[in-house]
Amino acid sequence: MSIFVPMQDQAVSVSELTYVIKGLLEEGIGDVLVTGEISNFKQHSSGHRYFTLKDADAQIGAVMWRTRSLPFLPVDGMRVIVRGRLSVYPPQGKYQIDVSAMRPEGVGDLHRAFEQLREALRARGLFDADRKAQLPRRPRSVGIATSQTGAALQDMLSTINRRYPLLDVVFRPTLVQGDGAAEDIARAIAELDAAKLDVIIIGRGGGSLEDLWSFNTEVVAMAIVNARTPIISAVGHETDVTISDFVADARAETPTAAAVLVTPITIDDLIEALDDRMLGMTTVVRTRIDDMLETAASFVDGRAARRVTERIHLRQQRIDDLVTRTSRGIRHQTHLLQQRIEHTVQYLTSLHPLAPLRRGYAVIERNGAVLGPNDCVHAGDTLVVQRYTESSTVRVSAVGQPTILPPHNDYDGNESKDTIA
Amino acid sequence: MATKAKTQSLEDKLKRLEEVASLLDRGEASIDEQLSMYEEGMRLAQECRTYLEEAELKVRRLSGETDEVDED
Repeated sequence: MSIFVPMQDQAVSVSELTYVIKGLLEEGIGDVLVTGEISNFKQHSSGHRYFTLKDADAQIGAVMWRTRSLPFLPVDGMRVIVRGRLSVYPPQGKYQIDVSAMRPEGVGDLHRAFEQLREALRARGLFDADRKAQLPRRPRSVGIATSQTGAALQDMLSTINRRYPLLDVVFRPTLVQGDGAAEDIARAIAELDAAKLDVIIIGRGGGSLEDLWSFNTEVVAMAIVNARTPIISAVGHETDVTISDFVADARAETPTAAAVLVTPITIDDLIEALDDRMLGMTTVVRTRIDDMLETAASFVDGRAARRVTERIHLRQQRIDDLVTRTSRGIRHQTHLLQQRIEHTVQYLTSLHPLAPLRRGYAVIERNGAVLGPNDCVHAGDTLVVQRYTESSTVRVSAVGQPTILPPHNDYDGNESKDTIA
Repeated sequence: MATKAKTQSLEDKLKRLEEVASLLDRGEASIDEQLSMYEEGMRLAQECRTYLEEAELKVRRLSGETDEVDED
């Protein structure tokens, strides 16, 4: 029945048979997921690990190459679950599991592995407070490494959006559980670190210890240690504690709490500050304007004017007092002065050249010029006789000797000369 | 990037607003200068306020694994 029993009596070589077996096992069985107890665990100097998986009745060899990450330190007797491929090793005629991933199976084993790694990392000083970075006081950018489909992402984004939507958020979709999750988290940390953001959040929602296991791995711990950007670990619920929490620069109890940590100043804070500013500016200007209005109002309602008037009245009163006190003497002198002025005016009036006309004398003109004492008059001259009451033009018919003489020859006046009787 | 430029200009506006406010507080300017500073300050504050009120979260995305396993 078997294809491996030759039709003829012709033997096959060991190699031929082995390769048939190899093909049969590797293709017929292939991928396996096996639970068992570790025994004979050996890590070769090359970094490859060799051990045996066994249970009460059977055992199978296993190899885990150096390139496969091992999230904990296996010890003999630990129950584990391994994922891998069944393979055959022809030189020894052995079949074995080529392990791609391994994790402790039981909760007790997980705790043991957790404690192991925690103590190892603590001994290396990775939890020391002095190597933890301060979270930025006002982050402008944040990198988030978490599952694209998890509630954690939505919690964080909605919290950030509510508190400070100006935050520059860079999301790196990340495997947070299952095979390869630890490595992907480590890569995500490195990538976000290279993006030079202000702070990084790594995390996921709650789950079993197994679900959170990726965050309990050395590869993640070392990625956190090597990152220059401050990192917040936000894994699971309040009570969940992971290695990444110890190594990270800050631990948030939940992803939402991490989102609060990266938004210490909220939009509402800023708006409130702006409102304060606006109020402050308004107060400054209003006070200034009120002062000016007050000044202006004091003019408008006459307060300032009254003050000025009062001052003027006061001075006027003082002047009046002075005037009253000196007025008697002044009035007397004024009277004397007035008398003198009147006399002078009378005197001056009497000296007016035309004053004699009132007394009946006349002024004689010839050709528009007044005749003086020495002007001669000839018969036939036309003269204008100016009297007080009228002016008349006359023709001289004859010129003779004067019939009346002035009292003195040297008397300088024209009233008694050049007159026509 | 547009978001960045906008954020930048918000920072600029806030900075200028602080300048204007402290100049106003000093009270050395003439009333005309004060009024124009006040106008500028209030305009800046109002613009910032509107910007803040209307701000919405934008998320950039770094490529990661595509065959991601859902968590529960």
